Amino acid sequence: MHLFLEQLLNGIAMGSIYALVTLGLALVYGILRILHVAHAAIYTVGAYVGLAVFKLSGSLLLGFGGAMVFCAALGVAIERFVYYPLLKYPPYVPLIGSIAVMLAIEELCRLVAGPYILTFPAKLPLAAVKLGNVTISSTLMAVYAITALVLAILWYITTRTEIGLAMRATSQDMAIADAMGINSHRVVSATFVLGSAIAAVAGVLVGIYYNQVYPTMGAVPAYKTLALIVVGGMGSVPGAVIASLLLGVAETLLIGYARIPLPRDALAFIAMIAVLMWRSEGLLGSR
Amino acid sequence: MKQPLLKVEGLRKHFGGLKAVDGVDFQVDRGEILGILGPNGAGKTVCFNMISGIYKPTGGRIFFDRARTDGLPPFRLAAMGLGRTFQIVKPFTSLTVLENVLVARGIAHYGRFRRIWGPWRSKDQVAAAMGILEQVGLAELAGRKAGLLPLGNLRRLEIARAMVVGRKLILLDESFSGLRHGEVSRLEDLIRTIRQMGITVLLIEHNLRVSMKLCDRIVVLDHGRKLAEGTAEQIQSNQQVIEAYLGRRRRKNAAGG
Amino acid sequence: MSGYLITIATIVVINAIVVCGLNVIVGYAGQISLGHAAFFGIGAYSAAILATKAGLSFWASLPMVVIISGLVGLLLGLPSLRVKEDFLAITTIGINFIVEAVFLYIPFFGGALGIGGIPRIYLFGLKLKGFSFFLLCLAFLVLVMLACWWFARCWAGLACFALREDEQAAASMGISPVRFKLLAFVVGTAMAGLAGALYAHYMRFISASDFSFPVSITLLSMLVLGGMGKLWAPLLGAAILGALPEIFRPLVEYRILFYTAVLLLMIRFQPSGLLGDDSLARKVLARVVPGGRS
Repeated sequence: MHLFLEQLLNGIAMGSIYALVTLGLALVYGILRILHVAHAAIYTVGAYVGLAVFKLSGSLLLGFGGAMVFCAALGVAIERFVYYPLLKYPPYVPLIGSIAVMLAIEELCRLVAGPYILTFPAKLPLAAVKLGNVTISSTLMAVYAITALVLAILWYITTRTEIGLAMRATSQDMAIADAMGINSHRVVSATFVLGSAIAAVAGVLVGIYYNQVYPTMGAVPAYKTLALIVVGGMGSVPGAVIASLLLGVAETLLIGYARIPLPRDALAFIAMIAVLMWRSEGLLGSR
Repeated sequence: MKQPLLKVEGLRKHFGGLKAVDGVDFQVDRGEILGILGPNGAGKTVCFNMISGIYKPTGGRIFFDRARTDGLPPFRLAAMGLGRTFQIVKPFTSLTVLENVLVARGIAHYGRFRRIWGPWRSKDQVAAAMGILEQVGLAELAGRKAGLLPLGNLRRLEIARAMVVGRKLILLDESFSGLRHGEVSRLEDLIRTIRQMGITVLLIEHNLRVSMKLCDRIVVLDHGRKLAEGTAEQIQSNQQVIEAYLGRRRRKNAAGG
Repeated sequence: MSGYLITIATIVVINAIVVCGLNVIVGYAGQISLGHAAFFGIGAYSAAILATKAGLSFWASLPMVVIISGLVGLLLGLPSLRVKEDFLAITTIGINFIVEAVFLYIPFFGGALGIGGIPRIYLFGLKLKGFSFFLLCLAFLVLVMLACWWFARCWAGLACFALREDEQAAASMGISPVRFKLLAFVVGTAMAGLAGALYAHYMRFISASDFSFPVSITLLSMLVLGGMGKLWAPLLGAAILGALPEIFRPLVEYRILFYTAVLLLMIRFQPSGLLGDDSLARKVLARVVPGGRS
């Protein structure tokens, strides 16, 4: 029971981190119908920038802030220079472009920061919590707290602010939103700012959680999050969050208990194919 | 007794709560031109999409050429001799005009595994396709990429493809919309020629004058239901139709000056 | 020819065969596949297992390998092709990861160690290696390209083109979308399987990472570079992307960056590829070679 609880808590943390990365992907897909694979590279860059700023300044808060600003700019740059000009082509064109951007950024990270694993020696200013005989470490607490905070802010922005309303209108139909006087290109950029900043948070968080930052840390999330937005229902943000949490827990528990012959990284895709066969619009999607 | 070529009974299509088509009956006799009329959102195109197999009806039955066809996929209906055009034209843009028609000529091959391996650019096939293009007046543009054609020519290309596929019935979905005056009268002539070839025509039309002139009979739809049915004269004098369709038009025209 | 050149040329030709298969699926039928390396791998693993466990010769196992690859393509294509575009892209990525995981984690497929000791190919009692093996691969490439050439000229190919352009219009012309997409998928995966068999017998040792997702991306890059749907695109793309790393060997550190930059620039400014109808290369060529088709 004790072990189970610990696994469960780890699984939720895992899922929270997936959720933070998947969010940006779901937002972008919802608005541009592009599979933004390069999003995971932004997350990697976030970890590196966060680490660099933290080392220079000694402040973790600045580290988060710097990573968010840098990644937001990077996200918008990718949108402006790669996706926007490619929107008129069939969907595989921006997708291949995205994969190329992803690999290029990964390589740049490797060339600039070196191919080795860097450590992220940050201490989070949160106390560990004891629940009965289970301890929730300060890192876990930070993951929960930050995820909850990000989700709350995102919920507020999308439901309570004008830009959020514009985002939702644009994701319904860009042409109609344009006709209604919404500057859809600005909304698209705002979406990239938001999604990329959240990815930066996820990157820094993962760096601290595993105490590791390395160039290919985005490779597995890049494709796993694609599966997650399918499971969640393409472009559905709540669906993406739920799918991420479920996958995090399922992965951790399956590795802990069932001796399945497949690696955990294939699990997301098996789940995805099962969902596609059973409910092709995803958990919370509509078509 | 005369057998209708196409018959729909109690046809219904609901999208969630929206009743796009709600219990429509009509039939098309062999060799006639039947027009479906109605304001926007009356359910005309939805009817077409059910008849040609794109939508599965929520309820009701469709008989085409004596077989029950509701729920059959589009490619089956095409093989049975039902050709159609699309209101929003769907050319194969990177193929040439000739190749577009050749795709339709393949209807005799696609159904049998052994027949799909033969070459499609044979002399006979090209000659036959050119014949159709001449009929619709696109022969000089045969080598042009379909994506480069203006709308009027694309509408004719759609009809050319539908003529190849529709050995028995051709559905024309607002083929006149967006055409210039000269093009309209040429298209009218073309449709009469098609009928003379023994092919039945079912057309959706927005333009009252055109359909009144062209159609043997007219079915008027409004809000997913059949409002009236009859000859052009009967429709023109039908009080309900005037209310629902002509009246609205007139009022709009009056308001718009 | 030096051994070094022959090695590169052989790999280029094998890759060209795989990409021909991809071209049938993506270029002709318009169905995006980001997991083509999985089918390349299925061919290679079937050939390796039939050779090392069943002791069959290359020639005896070849028809089986092609059929197995095509059948697996059919099996995986059935659910994949029910979904469209973006879903299909993600599903095929998923297939690649799952197939790689199966090779890596199931002991029957050699696990992390892969499969070694794959025998060489004999033809009329002659052991094929080096240049003679290259000729064999070249012969198969010619066959595969002839098949592609024919496919583009028969009704099945025309049906695929129509589906690529507009599925609804194609269906209204008697073309069953599922049937013809599956056909293209099976033909494409069978070609990948054939290339896999050649690869296994050439390398004589294979492991799961030879068929991982990045390989699929490389294959797709070759096709994009050459030009989707063009007959010569697979060979051109495979040759350029195969030769570049060798030419830039001194810059080995920047190789992948260079690779991805080429892909990015290509897709950004010339998505129809070098052989595409509106490509810069083609225009230049048309000017240099008078009378060439523009």
